[in-house]
Amino acid sequence: MNKLAIITAFLGAVKNRYMTYQEDRPLPEKFQMASKVEGIDGLELCYPADFENLEKLKELLKKFDFDISAINFRSRRTGKWWRGSFTSVSEKERKEFIDEVKQVMDVAVELGCNRITTCPLNDGTDSLFEMDYIRAYDDAAETFSSACAHNRRIRVCIEYKESDPRARCLFGNAGETASFCQMVGADNLGVTLDVGHALYTGERPAQSAVLLSKANRLFYVHLNDNDARWDWDMLPGSYHMWEFIEMFYYLQQLGYNDDWYAFDVFPKEIDTVDTFKAVVMLTQKLEGLTDRINPEEIERLMKERNPAKTIPYLYSLL
Amino acid sequence: MRKWKFSVNSGFLGRRRDRFTEYQPDRTLEEKFKLAKQVRGIDGIELKYPADLKDIKLAKRLLEESGLVCSAVNVDIKDAAFFRYGALSAQSKEARDRAASLLREGMDIASELGAGLVTTCPLADGYDYPFQIDYSVAWQRFVETVMEVVSYRRDMKLALEFQPHEPHAKILLSNVGKVLHICSEVGLPNLGANLDIGHSFAAGESPAESAALLASKERLFYIHTNDNTGEGGDWDMISGTVHFWHLLELLYTLDRIGYEGWLGGDVTSKHIGPVEAFDTNTRMIQRMAQLVDRMGTEKITSLIHKDGGLAETFDYLSRCLVEKEI
Repeated sequence: MNKLAIITAFLGAVKNRYMTYQEDRPLPEKFQMASKVEGIDGLELCYPADFENLEKLKELLKKFDFDISAINFRSRRTGKWWRGSFTSVSEKERKEFIDEVKQVMDVAVELGCNRITTCPLNDGTDSLFEMDYIRAYDDAAETFSSACAHNRRIRVCIEYKESDPRARCLFGNAGETASFCQMVGADNLGVTLDVGHALYTGERPAQSAVLLSKANRLFYVHLNDNDARWDWDMLPGSYHMWEFIEMFYYLQQLGYNDDWYAFDVFPKEIDTVDTFKAVVMLTQKLEGLTDRINPEEIERLMKERNPAKTIPYLYSLL
Repeated sequence: MRKWKFSVNSGFLGRRRDRFTEYQPDRTLEEKFKLAKQVRGIDGIELKYPADLKDIKLAKRLLEESGLVCSAVNVDIKDAAFFRYGALSAQSKEARDRAASLLREGMDIASELGAGLVTTCPLADGYDYPFQIDYSVAWQRFVETVMEVVSYRRDMKLALEFQPHEPHAKILLSNVGKVLHICSEVGLPNLGANLDIGHSFAAGESPAESAALLASKERLFYIHTNDNTGEGGDWDMISGTVHFWHLLELLYTLDRIGYEGWLGGDVTSKHIGPVEAFDTNTRMIQRMAQLVDRMGTEKITSLIHKDGGLAETFDYLSRCLVEKEI
């Protein structure tokens, strides 16, 4: 059974181009709120925001008895890395990125966490002929290779996403990211599969999970949903119920069942604690539905490859 | 060659943000006018209400001094403080009344500033989840509120700007068909559309077709020019950087239908400055218009009137791109 975490950034103010929802909240309040959500075992912490005072952070973790699913390393920052971090044209900026990743790896060790994840949102392009892709991939490979070598026991995860804030991010889908990881060749470089990002780039999350796992790159899973047109960070299963069930089924098969799910869901107009209570409840329901699938029966049905039998079987489980 | 009227949207002359990043500093109205004046080929400026128009006298003075025309007053009805649960279609009468009165105020101001129209993009009117709103009731309210607004001043036009999504996963007024629907429901001639080219791409349309449809019902009041990757994201990119042929088709269509309204630049500057962004946007459109001129509207029409003549059409169009035949 996977443990459940909330990404701390989603416990405060969340923004889009036009609106700000909820309010900025200090870290202790975020811990307090997460503790009100039954079923939550830990948090995914955001660096640098949550790391202003490491001793206080340790106290909070102890006080609330929360584990850390991962440290989310922000590769986009206010005031620096304006045109990308690990793909920056500036060697100095790429070096800064490596140094900071190494520091965060050390902090992770100190906190007993073996995973950092980063979503390279600002490393990409808006226009054609904006970036030299050949140079960008080379620099990215060198940067990640150097960062990963710092501590092989810490897993470094790239969370792919097709767009936003760039019209096209460099790592847009599971295939591109797995291929990049293999190009770098570091065993501790892998992928965060964000279900919402997979859906809106046109993937079947179950298929992406299998592909990444076969490449030994399925390191971490984020849960949220959307309408497959944009990254709305919605309640799991509100649009893609069966896709979640199929993915949960395969995660079981692949042995990703003693790890973490982390939630990035936008509370928007709804109370933040109520939102995450619903998120946990829905995840458990979807897991429960997945457990009703008889592996022998579904394997037999898949050998037949007859949706006229398979889909009614699945509906019979409801 | 047809003379097109170009304007800039003041909203893009100040601070912009997306979910993750902020671009450009906040700027005063004076600073915005100063920037707008530096953009070549610009005749007008689209002003935001309430943000830019808290001091009407100042706006009037700046318009006079700059020699720019107010192309439209763009009324913001998505302020979360009032419209968290909708504006024109809200359940709350207070929210609906506030949206309507903002639009009425916008009409009065537009009239005072010599702009013929008010435009608004009703982004607060939408939903994220299934079972979140009652569509029948919401649409009825939407139509009623719009009817109330356009009835207030028949001498002023209201141009509704459709957009498929954002900030909600689904916006009620999401495509050209729905704009035509509401125009027909309201039935008054001063209601029409602001065709934002990027929104039209995001909605999966060909903007040229949307323009032709709107023009056929005399509802094409205003146009926002920009571009995007066509996958749904409203990137407000420089016109023609992605959809070159589609934009040529649109300019050809606008010439065909005799569009005399504004081409309002609606591009985000992100890492480059707003002057450069608007300047390039205008130049790109001017050059594409020049290309359409070279191709000849009548000639293009005669080619597309032939069934199955696609090869001949593109042979001709592409030949017009090069000086010497290869």
